[in-house]
Amino acid sequence: MKVPLYLAVAQWTLLFAFGLLLIVVYRQLGRMLHKDDAAAPIGPAVGSKAASLEYSRFADDTVHYLTPGDGQPTLLAFVEPTCPSCEKLVLALGTAEHAGELSGLRVLLLTSSPKSYLDVSDAFRATRLECGRILAQSTTQAYGATSTPLLVAIDRDGVVRAAAPAIRLAEVRTFSRACLLPPAAAGSIPITAVARQHGTDLEAAAPAAGAD
Amino acid sequence: MDVLILCAKTAVACLLIVAGGAKLSDPASFASTVRLFIPLRVAWPLLSATAVGVSLGELAVGLASLTLPAITVLNTVVFAIACAFVAVSAMGYAFHRGRSCRCFGALSRRKFNAAGVLRSAIIASIAAVALAHVGTAALQLDVTARVLLFAAAALLALVAFTAARARGAGSEPEPEVVAQ
Repeated sequence: MKVPLYLAVAQWTLLFAFGLLLIVVYRQLGRMLHKDDAAAPIGPAVGSKAASLEYSRFADDTVHYLTPGDGQPTLLAFVEPTCPSCEKLVLALGTAEHAGELSGLRVLLLTSSPKSYLDVSDAFRATRLECGRILAQSTTQAYGATSTPLLVAIDRDGVVRAAAPAIRLAEVRTFSRACLLPPAAAGSIPITAVARQHGTDLEAAAPAAGAD
Repeated sequence: MDVLILCAKTAVACLLIVAGGAKLSDPASFASTVRLFIPLRVAWPLLSATAVGVSLGELAVGLASLTLPAITVLNTVVFAIACAFVAVSAMGYAFHRGRSCRCFGALSRRKFNAAGVLRSAIIASIAAVALAHVGTAALQLDVTARVLLFAAAALLALVAFTAARARGAGSEPEPEVVAQ
């Protein structure tokens, strides 16, 4: 059966027209979703006091109470074993820890999943970092952990110095330095915004900021 | 050569269908553009009816041009409409520069500017290409093919209508920049 030339051409033109409209709709959808993301920032506000939290440590099944501001800088990672990006963050944290870049910091992986879920992820199974399960829903709300991974840098005074989704080693380094920022720089550096630009060096945005 | 001419014909027909369908999703908005070109004070219902009429006209001509290729007079009508686009763009550029043309309803945020005149001229030249003669054998469609083409064209108009409505609902009002 021979298809008339006009029909073949019309079919292709219609296909292109549908494709163009699909792109328009897709772009609009992306814009709307982006707008929603912007309306609901992830993580606690930089400069705010970090909330205390309770977690069950997987290593020995004991319950611990963490009080930020007890003199030890803390790096909190809200992660889930079923989230591929979280695996990358756990690996990056492991690499940084292995290189001694997290010395002096208390690093804690927090998840809402039970211990048995850790087996699904090689990164979680192999990590030597302290890992625990969040016991109260209010902790997730207090830290604005509406999505994972979320990395939160808390200084020795319990002030949030950076909070953003992060997966790369460079970002982990930036956050670890944020934990060690001197108190004088508190609240003066929009670290959240800086950290959200992947790979941005904290020192480039805050020359006064340095590890003490 | 026939392929090029038929491509031009179907492309302009699709453009009219999409433009008509998208404009129908927000006739009030298009009516405000129509008002720019009517020097007299006209009641809003009449403006709105004109906007709907223009949109339906575009849609009807596009549908007819796509599904009835053998009727060559439609090519002339399409070319005349394309020339009208050029005239409107030029007038808009001359008197209402910077205002939204709403040529595709909420689908596009094109304004009356030099690029708009150029775009209209390109559309008119494509419509002119479609005026060229094509062998009748290439245009022979049976009833089934016509019905299917019409259905696809109607679906295209519906998709354009829905996309424009979604885009219009999702976007914030855009400030108009009017050149002094």
